[in-house]
Amino acid sequence: MTKPWIWGVNLSILMVLLLALGTIYSLTRGAETTLLNCSSELYEPDDDGKARQYLLVDLVTKGKKAQIHYRYFNLDGSLAGSISMEGELTASPGSGNRYRIAIHNKEEKGGKNSAPRPMHMNYISYVSGLNLSSTGLHQLELEILELDKTRDYAIVLFQPSNTVCGCRLIH
Amino acid sequence: MQLGECWFDDARGELVNRASGDVWHLPRAELQVLRLLCAAAGKVVSKAELRQGDDEHQPLSDSSVARAVFMLRSFIGPGSELLIETVKGQGYMLRLSPQERRSNLHGPRRFGQRVSLVPVWLLSFAMLLAIAGGVYYAWRVAELAPSAPYRVDTLTQADGQMVRLVLYAHSRSNNTLLVEKAAMIGSVLAECRSSRWRDVYLSLSHDSRVLNLTLRGEYLGQAVVRNLKLSDGREPRDFISAEGLREVDICD
Repeated sequence: MTKPWIWGVNLSILMVLLLALGTIYSLTRGAETTLLNCSSELYEPDDDGKARQYLLVDLVTKGKKAQIHYRYFNLDGSLAGSISMEGELTASPGSGNRYRIAIHNKEEKGGKNSAPRPMHMNYISYVSGLNLSSTGLHQLELEILELDKTRDYAIVLFQPSNTVCGCRLIH
Repeated sequence: MQLGECWFDDARGELVNRASGDVWHLPRAELQVLRLLCAAAGKVVSKAELRQGDDEHQPLSDSSVARAVFMLRSFIGPGSELLIETVKGQGYMLRLSPQERRSNLHGPRRFGQRVSLVPVWLLSFAMLLAIAGGVYYAWRVAELAPSAPYRVDTLTQADGQMVRLVLYAHSRSNNTLLVEKAAMIGSVLAECRSSRWRDVYLSLSHDSRVLNLTLRGEYLGQAVVRNLKLSDGREPRDFISAEGLREVDICD
């Protein structure tokens, strides 16, 4: 066997090893679970300084799967509505601290007694519905603007809605 | 026989540089060495063969052979070291054309010669990887760059505490509403005698229907965060008045 062939075989083995390492890394890395919990007070015009509802947003990623739950509560604790979205994590944070999630389906539930839905819920419902009906996917991006690991909280920028939100992190 | 730019006249024992016109009547050692090399062109001639004597002449010494090769190379000029090649540990070889270098070498090739192409191959591979890595890095740098705020203001509260007001906009233009609301929120925060907030983030949704206000600070060594989402579907949008902000206890 000539020398170039030997080197060819050596490099092929090296490539296979690197591929195997990459696969193992992606599989183990993909198994990480992340939970992001964001709590917000919702205000609408003429609320006279009193929050009308509360919103809890939970983001859960496990491997490549991602779920986002928007849960709206009235002041008495009753459910005012919810939107649950499921999708895939297309990019997880590297050095850029960005998650990209492609939502492919969602489920919406209203509150009891046919009370009007929160305006914020209408907004989320409208934007996600528009994208899902036109392209079949609702692309979301979460960027960690500021992270305090010792206190497990982060300031997160949601796109394309351009929403900044302070959230709790649970790993 | 043509040797680079020189012509070797074996019968006369002369080497003629056709470019300069110089003629060198070769001394015995140079003539013997050149004759033997020409006779075995493309093959390695050992030093022992080059040293050999005959009925009229004594054998040459090693230094005479080395000196003869040096003198021949000097006369032939640039490229002569490739024409009369030193084969380490074996002798010398007259190479007529570059292609003959590999095909006419006798015996097993030396390790250094055999692997001489491998580093070039590896180097090319490494360069390709480096170029691909560079292109990928350049592409990712732009993608991974953190989103820059539209504006960062600092305000001072009544108790002298500094609060950062950070604005995030969907685009770099047409942010009048965001800036107006930031000014109003800033003025209300500045009225606070004291507050736990150190950073205040303000963002307006892409369709300008939701104003997001996030307050971040510390209380008893713990991180505290408060998020307010102010929706308004009216035109013009107001979201919340200064009075409304005071009502929601923005200082707490």
